[in-house]
Amino acid sequence: MTTVAARLDSVEKIYRTGDVEVHAVRGVSLEIESGAFLSIAGPSGSGKTTLLNLLGALDTPSGGTVWIGERTTNGLSSRTLADFRNTHLGFVFQTFNLIPVLTARENVEFPLQLQGVADRGERRRRVDELLGEVGLDGLAERRPPELSGGQQQRVAIARALVKNPTLVLADEPTANIDSGTALEIMRLMQQMNESRGTTFVFSTHDPLVMRHATRLVRLQDGEVSSDERQAGVRHDT
Amino acid sequence: MTPETLPGRLGWLATLRLAWRNLRRNRRRTWITAVTVSLAVLLLQLSIAVTIGVERQSYDNLINYQTAHAKLYAVGYFENREELPLDYTLTDLQELQAAVQQVSGVAATTPRLVFQASLSDGIDQVACFGTGIELAGSDTEVFRIPQAIVAGEFLRPGEEGMLLGSGLAELFDAEVGDWLTVLTKTRDGAYEALDLPIVGIVGTGNPVIDRNTFIVSLESARYMLDLEEEATEVAVRFSLGAREMATLRALVERVEQLGYEVKGWREAEADFLAFAAMKRLGSVVMLSIFVLLALVGVTNTVLMAAFERTREVGMLMAMGLRGGGVRKLFLTEGALAGLLGGAIGSLLGLVLIAYLASEGINIAALYGDMDIGYPVKDRMYAALEPLTLVVVWLATGVAAAVASLYPAARASRRPPVEALRHA
Repeated sequence: MTTVAARLDSVEKIYRTGDVEVHAVRGVSLEIESGAFLSIAGPSGSGKTTLLNLLGALDTPSGGTVWIGERTTNGLSSRTLADFRNTHLGFVFQTFNLIPVLTARENVEFPLQLQGVADRGERRRRVDELLGEVGLDGLAERRPPELSGGQQQRVAIARALVKNPTLVLADEPTANIDSGTALEIMRLMQQMNESRGTTFVFSTHDPLVMRHATRLVRLQDGEVSSDERQAGVRHDT
Repeated sequence: MTPETLPGRLGWLATLRLAWRNLRRNRRRTWITAVTVSLAVLLLQLSIAVTIGVERQSYDNLINYQTAHAKLYAVGYFENREELPLDYTLTDLQELQAAVQQVSGVAATTPRLVFQASLSDGIDQVACFGTGIELAGSDTEVFRIPQAIVAGEFLRPGEEGMLLGSGLAELFDAEVGDWLTVLTKTRDGAYEALDLPIVGIVGTGNPVIDRNTFIVSLESARYMLDLEEEATEVAVRFSLGAREMATLRALVERVEQLGYEVKGWREAEADFLAFAAMKRLGSVVMLSIFVLLALVGVTNTVLMAAFERTREVGMLMAMGLRGGGVRKLFLTEGALAGLLGGAIGSLLGLVLIAYLASEGINIAALYGDMDIGYPVKDRMYAALEPLTLVVVWLATGVAAAVASLYPAARASRRPPVEALRHA
C-alpha cells in the first residue's frame, strides 16, 4: 500500500502588505506519496516557492490544511514548527546555504547535533557514510569556500538526508550551477530517491529538473494547472 | 537527556565552537571591538587596583599614626572628641591596660594625652593639637611614629623636646634644633607656656599629623596641662593575624564591664571611610561608562553580524534550530568578543598593576603638596589582586553578552521564511 508523505487540502496563502492582499496560493490540494520525485514548476510568481515553504513548515497556510506524514502543521507554534522541521524535513537551497565556517563534515553533522544525537561516533559514522554516497570522500575536512558549487550542493544534499527525513524540499537546486554539474546533482538525488526511498519535492524553472521528475505539478497564479505523472529521465549508475 | 543532547538546541560546546569561528569571519571588526573593550577594561582594572591599594595604604597609615586599631576612652569623651576635652580622662591606667592586654588578639596598649594647644615661634602663632606619648616603649609598640621621622630623631626618655609635623615645620620654616613655645590651657582654664626644642620632624602623609600635630612626652603634656597620672585615651594594637571584628567585640565586652568605652578605628574614621567609599563608587561609575561605551561596540558588532547572516540564520531555523538557539549563538559571540577584549585589557592591566604594586606612583611628582584626600605618604601603590582581575574579566564577558541581547533577540524573532528571502 502506498503511504502518503505529505498532503495539502484546499490550501490558501494570502500575504497582506498594508491594504494590499496577494493571493499566493489558491485552494491547492495535492497528495504526495512516499518515495515521490516530484517537481513543482511554473513561472515566477506562480506560487511554487510559497507552496514549498508551506510543505517545509517554514510558513503556515491562511486556509486549508497541510499534512506532513500523519501530522498537520496548522496551528503549531514557531517552536513546535522548528522541532517538526528538525525531525521530519530536509532542505536543499538554491544558494547551497552551508555554514561557511564549518567543514563539509561538520555541516552534515549539524542536523544530527540539533536532533540530539549525543554519540559522537554514531554521528561520525552516519556523516561519513553519506559523504561517501554523495561522492565527497576525501573532501570532508574542506570548508564550503574551498569547494566547487556542485560539491557544495552535494554537501547540502548529504545534510538534508542525514537525519532520514520524511520529505526533502529542494528550492531551485540547479539554479546556481552549470548544466553539467546540474545533471550530476539530479542523478545524485535520483539515486538517493531510489536507494533510500526518500521523498523529494523540487520547485524549479529548470527543464532538466522537470525531465527527471516522475511527477510534474504545474502552477499558474497560485493554482494547480496540471498534475502529470511521467517516467522521468533515468541514468544507469 | 543532557542539555547537550536536547533536540532543537545546539549544545554549549557546539555553540561555542560555531560562535568562535563566526567571530573569526570578520577578524578586523572583531579586533577593533576587542581592542575598544580592552582599553576600557584596562582603565577599569587599573583604577580598581589603585583604589584598593591607596585605601589599604590609608588604613595602614591611620592605624600606624593616628587611630591604632581601637581606643579606650572615659565615657563621654568620644561624644565630645572634637573639643578634645580634659574633663573625661582615664586615671587608673595600669589596671586598665593590664585588663585590656588579657583580651585575646590584643598585642599592645599605650596611653596618650591629646590636647588643644598653640605653637609660636615669637612671630606667628598656630592653633594645633598636642599629643603626649609614653616614651618608655609602649607607644612605639602601638604606633609607628619613629618610621615617619624625616629629620632629627625620635624623643628620648628624660629629655625635653618635641616632634613637629612636617607641615607645621614648613609653616614655621623651622628645623631640628629650633625652639617653639607651646601655649596650653589647663583643665581649670589657666594658661601655661613651655619652650621646647624641635628634636625631630614627622612626615606621615597624614594631614592630621603632619599639618596639625606636635608630639611631646606624656610627662611634658601632663606638666603643661596640670594633670596627674591621667590620659585622654589608651590606644590598642591588635596582633598580626587577629580577626579585627572579633577582637574588637571581645574588647568592647571587657572594657564596658570596667565602665569605659571603646571605639574601633573604623567608627572613629567613619567620615573618611564614607569619603573613600564615595570616591571608589565615583571612579567605578565613571569608568563603567567607558566600559559601557565599549560595549556599545559589541552591540554594533553583533548587530552587523546578525544582519549579514540573516539568510544563514533562516537556514539554521529551517533545519530546526529554535529561536532560543539563535539567541544563544549571538549572545555567545558577544560574550566571546567581550572576553577576548577583557582578557587583553586584564593582561595588560596585570603587567601595569604588578609594576605599580612594586614601584608605586610618585604622588609628590604628580600632585606636589596638594592634598589628594588620602593619608598616604610619597608613593601610592596599586594592589595586585588576581581574584579581582578575574572577576572584572568575567564580568566583562557577562556585560558583553547582555550588550548582545538586543541584536540576538532581533535575529531570533525573524521568521525563517522571511530570513531566507533576505537579499
